[in-house]
Amino acid sequence: MSPFPDASPKAIVQLIPPPFRSPAEIVVDHIQHGTFQRSMALLVCSTSLISGMEVGYEHYRGSFSNPIMYTPILLSGVLAAAGGAGFFSRRAAQTVMRWASFVTLADGLIGFGFHIRGIARKPGGWRLPVFNLVMGPPVFAPLLFGTSAYLGVIASYLQREEDHGWKGKTIDAVKTATTLRKPDWREDIRVGRFQKHLCVVTAIGTVCSGGEAWYSHYKDNFKYRVQWSPVLLTPILAGAALWSLRSKRAANTVLPVASALAMLNGVVGTGYHIRGILRRPGGRKKPLYNTLYGPPIFAPMLFAACGMLGMMAYLMRRERS
Amino acid sequence: MSLFDRNKPLFGSFGKPKDGLHHLGPLQQIKPPQRVFRDDEEIDYLIVGVGSAGGVLLQRLARAGFKVAGFEAGPFWDTERDWVSDETGSHNLYWNDLRITGGTDPLALGNNNSGKGVGGGSVHWAAFTPRFHPSDFEVYTQDGVGADWPITYEEIEPYYQLLEQELPVAGPAWYPWGKPHGHPYGPHPMGGVGDTLIDGCTKLGIGVSAGGPVAILSASRGDRPHCIYRGFCIQACKVGAKASTLVTHVPDALEHGAEVRDNSMVSRISVKDGRVDGVHYFDRDGNERFQRAKAVIVSGYAIETPRLLLNSACAGHENGLANSSGTLGKYLMAQAGNVILGRFDQPVRMYKAPPAHALTEEFYETDPKRDFARGFAVQTVGPLPIAFAKQMSVAKNQWGWGLRRTMMDYNHWSALGLLGEILPWKDNTVELADGKGGRPEARDRYGLPVAKVTFNLHDNDTKLIEFGKNKTMEIMRAAGATEVVQEARYAHLVGGARMSKRPEDGVCDKFGRTWDVPNLFVMDGSVMPTQGSANPGLTIQALAARTADYLISQGSAVFTANGRDLTSPPCRHSLSPPGTFTKGIPHLR
Amino acid sequence: MAPQKVQTKRLPVTDPLDGAPIQLDQPGYYEGFSTLSQQAYWDDATRKVVLQRMTAAHPILFFTPAEAATMAAVLDRILPQEDRTAARRIALLPPLDDRLFHNRIEGYRYEDMPSDQDAYRQAAKAFEQMAQTACGRSFHELETMEQETLLQSLHAEKPTAPEDAWKGINIKRFWALLVSDCCSAYYAHPWAWDEIGFGGPAYPRGYMRLEEGQPEPWEVDEQRYQWAAPADTLTDTPASEQTGEKVQSQAGQGGTH
Repeated sequence: MSPFPDASPKAIVQLIPPPFRSPAEIVVDHIQHGTFQRSMALLVCSTSLISGMEVGYEHYRGSFSNPIMYTPILLSGVLAAAGGAGFFSRRAAQTVMRWASFVTLADGLIGFGFHIRGIARKPGGWRLPVFNLVMGPPVFAPLLFGTSAYLGVIASYLQREEDHGWKGKTIDAVKTATTLRKPDWREDIRVGRFQKHLCVVTAIGTVCSGGEAWYSHYKDNFKYRVQWSPVLLTPILAGAALWSLRSKRAANTVLPVASALAMLNGVVGTGYHIRGILRRPGGRKKPLYNTLYGPPIFAPMLFAACGMLGMMAYLMRRERS
Repeated sequence: MSLFDRNKPLFGSFGKPKDGLHHLGPLQQIKPPQRVFRDDEEIDYLIVGVGSAGGVLLQRLARAGFKVAGFEAGPFWDTERDWVSDETGSHNLYWNDLRITGGTDPLALGNNNSGKGVGGGSVHWAAFTPRFHPSDFEVYTQDGVGADWPITYEEIEPYYQLLEQELPVAGPAWYPWGKPHGHPYGPHPMGGVGDTLIDGCTKLGIGVSAGGPVAILSASRGDRPHCIYRGFCIQACKVGAKASTLVTHVPDALEHGAEVRDNSMVSRISVKDGRVDGVHYFDRDGNERFQRAKAVIVSGYAIETPRLLLNSACAGHENGLANSSGTLGKYLMAQAGNVILGRFDQPVRMYKAPPAHALTEEFYETDPKRDFARGFAVQTVGPLPIAFAKQMSVAKNQWGWGLRRTMMDYNHWSALGLLGEILPWKDNTVELADGKGGRPEARDRYGLPVAKVTFNLHDNDTKLIEFGKNKTMEIMRAAGATEVVQEARYAHLVGGARMSKRPEDGVCDKFGRTWDVPNLFVMDGSVMPTQGSANPGLTIQALAARTADYLISQGSAVFTANGRDLTSPPCRHSLSPPGTFTKGIPHLR
Repeated sequence: MAPQKVQTKRLPVTDPLDGAPIQLDQPGYYEGFSTLSQQAYWDDATRKVVLQRMTAAHPILFFTPAEAATMAAVLDRILPQEDRTAARRIALLPPLDDRLFHNRIEGYRYEDMPSDQDAYRQAAKAFEQMAQTACGRSFHELETMEQETLLQSLHAEKPTAPEDAWKGINIKRFWALLVSDCCSAYYAHPWAWDEIGFGGPAYPRGYMRLEEGQPEPWEVDEQRYQWAAPADTLTDTPASEQTGEKVQSQAGQGGTH
């Protein structure tokens, strides 16, 4: 037996005081069996609304100088609607939401290419990496924009809440048609076994979001010491996620702690960013301008979202193989 | 971070200019201009001066299929080879040839207000591009001073919209002054000076516009990159982010068969049988030549335009060409441009960000509570060290150790500029320094009499300046400046060949066609009857685009008929340089 | 933010005992800041112009040797450099001489002024006359204080000079021209940029820290210290906060809008 206490989600849930224990148990149970498509569809809907807003004002800053800059805004609207539909309809979740998510994901990748090109076309191009990263199009933003699309893809393969405990058993145990073909990643998602998969995504997302935090705060000369916190948390969370690929124990210990810290950091950061906007010249008398050019409100939330992905990974079951 | 703190760029040094290519910014490259008209080839439109107005006219007329040539006294700039990121090194952008300046309040000329070289003043403007207000077009009707324009705001409005797209203009999506409108590119981030203005204005409850309107790219467009906030706008934008006709309109003109004849100084317009038949000019080697043309458009700006017309006096036009009204060279205007400097305890570093990035037009209109007509704007400026040193030597009246000490605090100072409307007065003039009639005598290297400029402030102007100066100082103090000083100066030049409703009141009609010679046009800042307290650049270009539409709608009538058709042409949206009219954000027109 | 630290170890610039200036390679509050160290980030054309400004030999061609001696002494008082080590002083006369010799004017001349060349020739002569009248020696042989007293009288537009020494010259305009020429020479030099903390040429690399006076990664923070000018000077005055109402801009200011 391990000298450490059991820190698996199921064991932790037992520590919750009785009135809240039961709903928590249900949540964990649903997550572990991949039966949370409806909730996930709602999450997709709300995150794509937020990222649509963010990309909206960021591309307004970029003056929509290339018509392709409208696509992420349109797509996030489409994806939000698809997420809403996915909440109500299984069919919509497996069709419209899936397609919308894949298209949006592709758009994020194309955008990534455009942002790299945008930096290259600034005076000095990549010979001035820091200056042009800071002042050029935010290079990782399109990838982070893909986060909600990624959630949409995942959601489209999940089972619905009402499938849970179907005829007393989860589909996982039923092994109907799935036995006829070789189980693949889709099957893993379907039954809530994609912890490692999610860890990889968490690590990538954290590095991108932390990278943005690093160069944006570098632009601000790390004027406040707290600006280092997301930069320092980045290797911790990304490291924990990667370690979790190899170690189940890491996934049950370091990962949830690091993820919780990242989520907390994101919330606190949002508060600081709002304060930063209010403290700009003109403050609340120039709300639109100061939101546009003050500290980006949504950026810390993106970092928190990476923490949320890590937390979800912790709650997940590991892949079979 | 040591990787990035090194004193060398990553992957080695930057690229060098390419042989055989002419650079208009880091990305835009063209083949050196090829087309050359023969001197005896009769071209349709000969434009004297390829600046703000000349560049737009050249592009429009070439696109419409006319044979058109622009004569420019200065060089055709290659931005990578000819321009430098340095104050002193940019001296050759300006019209530095001799002019004589006098009057009770003589104007400083040269680097302040006139350019030489393709792009003209738009090469070294700060690129503030506010529109004029509707009231600017009827100053006399409303206030009983100055003059009315022969056009209304509504007539020029579509051209404001067009040019704001073409330059393009970055600014807020809602701009409350004059006739409210928005801008096709998003606003710019603030620099230290902009923060000063916003801070001061919001504390006093004065409305203020952040991040524009300026003709500087806040996002890339085609082969013109995004602004890099280096602050060398008025030393010419090597980045190509700031609009100048050199990078916005001239390349498209060349593409459509226009000729730009650089280093060619037009000395005299030739008149035969009451019509213009060409111009005499000095080519790049100093030889005097004659170019035939069916029509001539003079776009030499407020001093060189009257000077050329005065120098073209001939039988039938003894007082200067197109001067039967006697108004040629009269009603010259400059704007009050006092610089208000404030010292802050915290550093500002005002050399960063474009000098032009925030302004207020809250005091633009006549206010019956004040004892003067018309008003002023307050704008950001960002003097670099030499300009700042000169300003401080006057503003603080210092020299020696005192000046050295003040200069060591350069990074603690912020600077705001007043832009006050000075009314058109008949005694503010451009004349020839030809030694006649009590005028001094001075000639340029071609032996032509230079311009003699006379400028006097009148009662309304001094009251306006005093009020505006004090208001700006109040803003500076409200922003937290602990020491506030100011230096008086002037900015911009317009008037001198004004347009008018009646032939006896001005030099040209509302399309710039001179009242006296049917195929001679004037189109640049000199046609303005009044100037508002908006920077004139956008209005000059809008007027030029409108005149181009007029000329196109007149077809060949201009070349043969002596009649005058004053019907307004439709605004053509098909003549914009490629990829400019449709781009940008949706905004309030 | 915390108030600026005063570096006491660099107090004062003049030796408290004998008043002699303590000379530095780089006066100003930006110790260790060097714009020249960033020249790899400048474009070719700019680098060439700036480096040539620093290294090119400028033989004096416009002024005669006697005029040059006088004018050099005058310029040294308009922008004194005794706080700089001899090797790091910025030459002021050569750029002026070069400008006059090649007739690089600002694009205008005041009606009540002769040409820049004539004005400077007459001024060189007038300074010498002022020195001879007041002290009986050449201007460049005078003590600092004597030179400054004479210049101060000119600055106040009441030159202690023989009647016709300044005839035909609007003194107010000439003074502005003189100071403006000195500023143009001094503050065009990278060493002066280092002194005042100006970033210098900025292309292709621009700026990213636009607000609150934050330095770029390659710039340095200000480190203020107190200093006193040499004891024998009239010019280290804080100059009253005057509105300058009647002070019109005399020279074409570097076109700020």
